[in-house]
Amino acid sequence: MNEKFTAYAQPEVLVDRAWIEKHSNDPEVRIVESNEDILLYETGHISGAVHIDWRRDLQDQTVRDYIREGGFAELCRRNGITENTTVVFYGDKSNWWACYAFWVFTLFGHKNLKVLDGGRDHWVAQDGPLTKEVPTHDAADYPTPPKRRDDEIRAFFADTLAHAQAELPLVDVRSPGEFSGEVTHMPEYPQEGVLRGGHIPGAHSCPWKTAANDDDTFKSREELAKIYEERLGLKQDDNVVAYCRIGERSSHTWFVLTYLLGFENVRNYDGSWTEWGNMVGVPIERTND
Amino acid sequence: MSAFPEKLEEILELFEHLPETERREMLISFSENTSQHEPIEGDTFDLEDVRKDDECTDEVGVFLNIDEQGGTHFRVKLGPKVQTLTRAMTAILCQGLDGSRPQAVQEVPQDFVPRIVGSELVRLRSQTVYYVLTRMKSACAVYLKRKRAAS
Repeated sequence: MNEKFTAYAQPEVLVDRAWIEKHSNDPEVRIVESNEDILLYETGHISGAVHIDWRRDLQDQTVRDYIREGGFAELCRRNGITENTTVVFYGDKSNWWACYAFWVFTLFGHKNLKVLDGGRDHWVAQDGPLTKEVPTHDAADYPTPPKRRDDEIRAFFADTLAHAQAELPLVDVRSPGEFSGEVTHMPEYPQEGVLRGGHIPGAHSCPWKTAANDDDTFKSREELAKIYEERLGLKQDDNVVAYCRIGERSSHTWFVLTYLLGFENVRNYDGSWTEWGNMVGVPIERTND
Repeated sequence: MSAFPEKLEEILELFEHLPETERREMLISFSENTSQHEPIEGDTFDLEDVRKDDECTDEVGVFLNIDEQGGTHFRVKLGPKVQTLTRAMTAILCQGLDGSRPQAVQEVPQDFVPRIVGSELVRLRSQTVYYVLTRMKSACAVYLKRKRAAS
């Protein structure tokens, strides 16, 4: 195993290029690419990787929610994923959407999940091979999960409001400008329909990027502990809620806190600022007020 | 009569009749041709506008030449972080607007984008596909302003 991984709370959730190459033809492994760039998979991907799109495949746009249990089973079946398949996620943007897809698979209780450290850009930077060949996998048998585990790793608006009122730890992983209220969009992105700038009262500002190296890999456990435990003062058994704008950057932080640092009770508020910032009658804070 | 320059209208009609899979393949093909529309070392231009705006993921350089007949010829240099759809749109615009007059470029309606990318690929975070056209229009506006000032 990669030496860096051994220090993490759950080192088995990370893989590197050597692991991918060793398992490239393993029928028990399915590699999944999840990106923000909608067409990136088609320009080339890791051999054997299937494409799972965060919006088309994981969400139900008619109710601003995720797919239900039956939809998840169908998604797995058509991608040749069984209950026992080890699913390895990777993608662009330092693995934002890979962690998001990992989180959604966790909502449905899939057990064997991993992330390729550094994601797609790191793979490409290491001259990792890409192919345009889209794999075909025989449809698999995947039983419909008994329930979506929203109550375990997901926070809804009401949960987050109660969390803030109880002054429990909230981690805002957006950029400093978004947190302060100076801007209502993230740097380098268009406005995504938020009327107010600021943050949830009492939230800590800790941008997701602080957990990643410049080459998109995760920082070491020691470095992560300094950021979240020493600087933010979070404890392993704290009840923590992380949020961003729509839940993808906070999935990255949820992954770091849960699997790399071993926090026991972290939830992702996927409604995030696009819900909270627009909600009528709900307080916000601005740093410069 | 179409509101779009003839070459761009031809590309629009091509995309409109493609099934989704082929539409994506065509977009990938255009995105991979972006380097053909980059400025070549030693080229000189009537106007150069290279900058990194807050709403785009990377630096975009727009280079404009006007020929003797008053037709525009764009070259565009995109930073490596620019998304695939924006790359494709850049190649489409360089090809589709080639030879159009600056005034005609400024009048191109933005609503052609869904005709090219289809409904499935239009997302909030794909809105930067409009960005390159905005930059081209801006380059034309600056060129015309300078020309008026000079005369």
